[in-house]
Parts: sequence; structure tokens; C-alpha cells
Amino acid sequence: MNYAHPEVLVDTDWVSKNPPNENRKLVEVDYDPVNGYQKGHIKGASLIWWKRDINDPITRDIINKKQFETLMSKNGIREDTEVVLYGDFNNWFAAFVFWVFKYYGHENLKIMNGGRKKWELENKEYTTEEPRLALTTYKAQPPDEGLRAYLFDVSRALGREDTVMVDVRSPKEFSGEITAPPEYPMEHAQRGGHIPKANNIPWATAVNDADGTFKSVADLTQNYESKGVTPDKDVICYCRIGERSSHSWFVLKYLLGYSKVRNYDGSWTEWGNMIGNPVEK
Amino acid sequence: MSLDPHILKNGSFYYIKDGGADFILEDKTKRGLTVKDTSIDEKLNVKADKGMIHDMDGIGHWVPIRWYFSKALFDFNKISEYAEAMEKKYVELRELTCPDDSD
Repeated sequence: MNYAHPEVLVDTDWVSKNPPNENRKLVEVDYDPVNGYQKGHIKGASLIWWKRDINDPITRDIINKKQFETLMSKNGIREDTEVVLYGDFNNWFAAFVFWVFKYYGHENLKIMNGGRKKWELENKEYTTEEPRLALTTYKAQPPDEGLRAYLFDVSRALGREDTVMVDVRSPKEFSGEITAPPEYPMEHAQRGGHIPKANNIPWATAVNDADGTFKSVADLTQNYESKGVTPDKDVICYCRIGERSSHSWFVLKYLLGYSKVRNYDGSWTEWGNMIGNPVEK
Repeated sequence: MSLDPHILKNGSFYYIKDGGADFILEDKTKRGLTVKDTSIDEKLNVKADKGMIHDMDGIGHWVPIRWYFSKALFDFNKISEYAEAMEKKYVELRELTCPDDSD
């Protein structure tokens, strides 16, 4: 069985054979560009740095429509450009950027299956040369709020039978044993645990451990449906800062074809810090 | 039988353990961090287990988790000196971020 939207995935060989051009842009999305893009990237790829380029510099929020248009322009992307995203950290942040691109209505968008991990496992070539991109004029669409869950959406969904919450963090984060792994000391919350009645389906259960590629439809279906995350439900994914949940959002929406999936990008660093929010351990 | 090395000295922010041929100085603030590399720490010029911590911007920084001091080259007092310097650094940092107003 094929993925519901196979057009959103390309593999590393396809990227090798289809370099960027006037109508196709390759974008590396990194959480840590110093240890990623700057050390080497696929020839012709530009960089989107999650922290600098996708987040508002002052308010905790993703970039607004105008900031998004500027970002597209800087990366040489037009409304009809085919964009291929890939990145570090198992494509978590590439998936986050995929979500933001869709939020602002970019249509022709793909993810390179396996990201940097698979590219490196195959010993494919990197360069440190950065592409020179001509600025474009980009007109984004109004945000598609159907893709995004806010705190009030999650609060309202508590106890609803038709909504299912998917917590994609590790079991230790879900149980409240830790609020963030030691590698991310800046991402703790005041309380540990999870949103009441959430299902713990870690993001990693959707990928093949060996190379970071997505699992088959049969495996993914079993993974989610066995825990009550079915296509008829309104699904809200969350993690700690919204990046791993974008990865699971991508799986549910584009690989399995669920129609009502939202990413709660406020995630645990919002929920677990708010006074009075219910927490389950 | 416990496989953990015997603790020779226990500070608020460090352990000094008996690692057989080495004294092992361990930074307690790096507890739980995954060891991703073992190589020479340029500051102390001894072998160290290192992990990576990501800052506010997501940039990863290599940090030593524990250092291995050969007993043939270092005596315990020297390790204690390094440990106390580390302790002092963390105490000062704690005072800076969470000052004790009691006095």
C-alpha cells in the first residue's frame, strides 16, 4: 500500500539526480546549523535555521505572514517553486518548517526521506559552498488555522470523545520523570507529566531506526490505530517545543491521510508552565 | 557486586571516584548526558567523556562529563584541587542566578 500523499516524499537518490534549479529549491533546515549546514550540506541547498528564521525574534511564536514572505524571498522561492526540505535531528525541524510552509499555503513541498542521517549513512557528498540566490517576490496565503492547535483548543478538547491527543515525547517525558533530556537544559517546564488522557506514541515509532526513513503504511497504521488514533478523530499532536510533533503531524496527515490533524506548537513548554493547567502523570 | 567505582570524595557538584588506574572526576551537573565522544580535554589535558548541550539558539556545545586522571601522573590532592575549582565556579554561578537573600 502506498502513502496517502506519496508526492510529499523524495528519497536521497532522487535528490542526487535532481539538483536545485530555477524552479526547484533545496533547503536544509537545522536546529544546530553550526554542527550541521556549516560543516557541510547538499550542493545548492540554502539554510533555514529554525531558531533564527522560523521564530519571531521577540515573542514566542512562529514568524508572521510578512516575515514568511521575506524568508521565501531570501531563499529564492516563488509561490510555484518546488521546495525540497531536509535537515538534522531526524528531519524534526524540516517537518516543522513543512508545517509552517503549509500554514502559509505553499503547495509544492517535499521532504527528503531520512534527512541528513540517511544522506550521511550513504556517504553522499557535502559542500560548504553556499548558493547565491536571487531575491524573489513572494505572496503568502492567509494562515491555515486548521493545521494549528492553540492552548485554548487543547483546553477545550479535554474530555472530548471525538478528539485524541498524541504526545510524541519519550516515555520518561510523558511520565514526568524528566521535563527535558539533559541535552536541552533550556527547554524545561515547571511541571512534568502529560495532558490528561493523551496517548504516548513517541515520534521515533514512526521511523526505521537504521536510517531515519518513515515506516510502511501497514506499520504506521498499526502504530496509531492500536492506540485509538483513528482517521475519524480530531487529532492534536504535541511534544516539548512542537518540532517532534510536526514530524508525527506530517506522518498522520500526509503519509496516512488523516483529514483532521493539528500541531500544538506551544506543546509542553507552554502547557507544563501554565498555572492551573491539569497535568496527568 | 556493584560495578560502580568507589566514591573517594563527594562534593555538591562533583564526585571523585576510584577508577583503578585512574582517578575519575565527574561533573554532577552533567548527570544523564549521553556520552558521544571520549577524547582529550584540552583544558586539563587528560582523557574525558564528552556530551553535547544545546543552548538557547539550538547550537550544540561539547562539554566534559567526566575526566580520567592517571594515578601514575596525578596525586589525589591535585584532583581535589580541580574538583574544588569546579565547585567554586558552580557555587558562584548559583549565587548569581539564585542569590541567597538570608544574609
